[in-house]
Amino acid sequence: MKRKMVSVMLATAMLVTMLAGCGSGDGGAAGSAGGSTAGDAAGNGDTSGSTDGNGVSDGEQITLKLFSNLPDRKNGQGLVEQTIIDEYMVENPNVTIEVEALDEEAYKTKFKAYSMYGMPDVVSIWGQPAFLDEVVAANVLAELNAEDYTDYKFVEGSLDGFTYDGKLYGLPRNTDIAVFYYNQKMFDDNGWTIPETYDDLLALADEINAVGITPVAMDGGDGWPLAVYLSDLLYQIVGNDYADIVSDAFADSDFSAPEITEAVELLKQAADAKLFQNGYDSQDYGTAMNLFTNGQAAMFYMGSWETSMATNEDIPEDIRENIRVFTMPAVEGGKAASTDIAAWNGGGYAVSANSEVQGEAVKFLNYMYQPDKLSKYGWENGVGLSAQDQGDYLTGSETELQKQIIDILNASTSLSGTPINDCGPSTFKATIESAIQNVSNGTTTVDDFLSIIGTSCQ
Amino acid sequence: MKKLYSNKLVILSLVLPGVLLFVFAILAPICLSVYYGFTDYSGMGSYQMIGFENYRNLFTDKTFGIALRNSLLLAVGFICIQHPLALITAAVLDKLGGRGENFFRCVYFIPNVISVAVIAYLWKFIYNPDFGLLNNILKAFGGRGDTNWFDSKTAIWAVLIVLIWHGFGWGMLIYYTGIKNIDPVLYEAATIDGANQITTFLKITLPLMKPVIQVNVTMAVISALKQMETVYLLTNGGPGNSTQFTANYLYQQAFKAFRYGYGNAIGVVFIIICLAVTVGLNKVFEEPEERKLKKRKRIRAKAKGVS
Amino acid sequence: MEQAEKKKSGMTKGILWIVLLMVAVIQIFPLVWLVDFSLASSNELFTSGLLIIPKTIQWGNYVKAFVDGHFLLYLKNSILINGLAVILVVIISIMAAFACYRMRWKLSGFVKMLLLMGLMIPIHATLLPNYKIYSMLGLTDTIWALLLPYVAFSLPQALFLMTSFMESIPVELEEAAVMDGCGIYRIIFQIITPMLKSSIATVAIMTFLNNWNEFMMASTYLNSPKWKTLPFSVLEFTGQYSSNYAVQFAVMALTAAPAVLVYILLNKHITKGVAMGAVKG
Repeated sequence: MKRKMVSVMLATAMLVTMLAGCGSGDGGAAGSAGGSTAGDAAGNGDTSGSTDGNGVSDGEQITLKLFSNLPDRKNGQGLVEQTIIDEYMVENPNVTIEVEALDEEAYKTKFKAYSMYGMPDVVSIWGQPAFLDEVVAANVLAELNAEDYTDYKFVEGSLDGFTYDGKLYGLPRNTDIAVFYYNQKMFDDNGWTIPETYDDLLALADEINAVGITPVAMDGGDGWPLAVYLSDLLYQIVGNDYADIVSDAFADSDFSAPEITEAVELLKQAADAKLFQNGYDSQDYGTAMNLFTNGQAAMFYMGSWETSMATNEDIPEDIRENIRVFTMPAVEGGKAASTDIAAWNGGGYAVSANSEVQGEAVKFLNYMYQPDKLSKYGWENGVGLSAQDQGDYLTGSETELQKQIIDILNASTSLSGTPINDCGPSTFKATIESAIQNVSNGTTTVDDFLSIIGTSCQ
Repeated sequence: MKKLYSNKLVILSLVLPGVLLFVFAILAPICLSVYYGFTDYSGMGSYQMIGFENYRNLFTDKTFGIALRNSLLLAVGFICIQHPLALITAAVLDKLGGRGENFFRCVYFIPNVISVAVIAYLWKFIYNPDFGLLNNILKAFGGRGDTNWFDSKTAIWAVLIVLIWHGFGWGMLIYYTGIKNIDPVLYEAATIDGANQITTFLKITLPLMKPVIQVNVTMAVISALKQMETVYLLTNGGPGNSTQFTANYLYQQAFKAFRYGYGNAIGVVFIIICLAVTVGLNKVFEEPEERKLKKRKRIRAKAKGVS
Repeated sequence: MEQAEKKKSGMTKGILWIVLLMVAVIQIFPLVWLVDFSLASSNELFTSGLLIIPKTIQWGNYVKAFVDGHFLLYLKNSILINGLAVILVVIISIMAAFACYRMRWKLSGFVKMLLLMGLMIPIHATLLPNYKIYSMLGLTDTIWALLLPYVAFSLPQALFLMTSFMESIPVELEEAAVMDGCGIYRIIFQIITPMLKSSIATVAIMTFLNNWNEFMMASTYLNSPKWKTLPFSVLEFTGQYSSNYAVQFAVMALTAAPAVLVYILLNKHITKGVAMGAVKG
């Protein structure tokens, strides 16, 4: 009560201060503050100008532009990328690497804008048809020499998504697994257990909701995590027929196969059972993740690249040290074994075909992929799994979360491959990622959803 | 004088910058849009001319329909909610007088000077179901406070509220200026006549404000059509396409779905709609204009007669 | 009787104040909330109270926002781009207005109409084709990519305002100037322009307000931080500090601050300018 009172008073005080400033039109204090800001701004401009001038030293000056989908440069994968960039610039003083980094969704949009006319030298890409087909067809990316990478220990099959007609156009950065992160302490405190089956998961949702906590934080605003969830379910239902069923659906532009229908219905059941947070279909990545990392949600459905949550100092200690994972529980009557997991090689890097400094760009790319760079640093920073063999870098001091992830991968009997939304053309991707919000929240029926996405890839 | 004032070279030099800008920044892109609107250009690589295919698709495109419907909803919201509120507030403010008047006028306008990027993200947080301001207010009044403001059925209203809130000060200021321009003699006359505040507002302020209201209504409809930034940042058209707007949709089609040609076709139709609506509204408002002038004179004469 | 009247008017005043205060709270409270949350630490945000009393006030949020948000650079860019746009709009609109309304030539009506057409064209419809054009000409990621559309789309309104003010300037003045042997340019810039002071202020304010908020063009046409404008601070932070809400609040408050401060400082002029522009337009 007292707190509330104080907060009301605080509110009033702030309101009054703001309004007071407003009433007296020509407040001297505000004036000088405004003035000094403008002055500083000009000063700052000058300094940045002069550093540009001083930058030139011996040798030919090369500027590499790197366009990245990792805006957080102080944590996780972004930190790893930045570390390698900094090292490269120290070893090659004549090279400056400029980074432009955007959020995933913004990144993809801007990437497409770039691909119309001139790409930065090194770019993040996804080795998936929805992203790469059109880009490769337009000759925007430089062909890489596959033989360069025989010693780079890429995991078998991980280059497939980046290869067209036997030509290699990019290199994979991660092996991604779709997982439920969960807060183990919260589970223990409440006596919840990890669900064995999908029905268990939905039942668990009721229990968790009953204590006023969100069961699963879902980035539904972006659409693609819902599509990954759907693919995960489909994989649990059909097991290794996944690839065939998906490619048949695309071939006929018909998604009404009973297995796909069932997967969509299971997704809808989850939404109906309030498995996801209130308003999941409009909340973005950051919002969903923050629910989980601030203890408002018991679980978080995302890819293994977020393993670095365990080492992120911004996350309260008692939460980040208790994050564990499990994969999609078995669906009743499903063909997949419990060790069959939804995993794929998605994100990676490529070099622009019309880069003026292509040689240097490829050199930097190869530098990044030296097994003791991206792969090693990634592992040391707890950033999920790379697409290269990381066996050499196991130190035993990994976070629990990392060990769990590697165990899951090592124990896996089979991997799903690319999620369904990334298997078709980009029109399909755009359509399914917005339509899937509607089908999960009940605005459209399952049948309509299937016909909408079918039409979009005709 | 005449010779000086019809010197072709001088005229050319004066209008050339403006005309060049128009041609380069407005006309050329429109022509380019028309051209690409007839192609299946994805944004890169080769493309083919496909005639009116894009436009045919547009007519059956449900999302485009939703975008137009949303613009209409928004315009109605502006006209039926924002503008009456702004007009009444302006009238009340006009009665206040003194320092308070300036103070409130200043305060109401503040949201207007804040960048849309800040406004959109701020409201994203305000609507957040878990720690957002709105749900916390509901809780403070004993509600459950778990409303999902961006539910696919209500999201458009959530967007509307933000836009109404953001643009309120602007509308208020325009009405306020309009009211200030009304001859105070009219009010005095009415007071002597024994009319109360509400009658005065209905009988004098409102009729005299008609031209201002008309301009404002036109602006509201146009700005509802043009809406992009707030939606792009607040919901990006979601959930589903429930808060989709034309400008946002064409952007998504071009840069997300790789349908640059189709996006341009939407752009062309978008421009045509904007032109048609502006011209149409002007036509609608123009005709009674003459009659209104006479009417204003009548009111003035009447008021004078009363005094 | 008189007393009752006074009492009544006092009561009405009271009601007026209450109504107006309520509206003021609605308009301002979200901003107060923003500032309040920006001073807390991230894990304090999940509260059910209206405002938070931070355990310790986190000025560090603002330091992060200031440094990592490139605040000064982006502010400088915003001011520079908007300032240049205002200057160009004013000069070009005065010249065009004079030519179209004072000088005698056949196409004046047509050109005027052409330029005013821009009022009806939605700026975002030109996003896609302009991106193509600017890319081909190598204008993306330069200041021109923003200046050109900003000026072009502010011009129609400016022209409209300028002409309506210009109409009220007596022709006799110019005639006298012509007698003295002034050329057209001197008439425009030495005689007409000083008389248009208040409309120049209006045009400047309208142009500034319209373009200050713009970021769709900026985010499409710009790549490097070199010319990025203030809204980018906010946009970039949602990615950079996705797991630190409080800092996101801080960067929003910081980004909003310059415009609010300037407005509070100049509110009388700005209000007048907007009002004049609105009523004429």
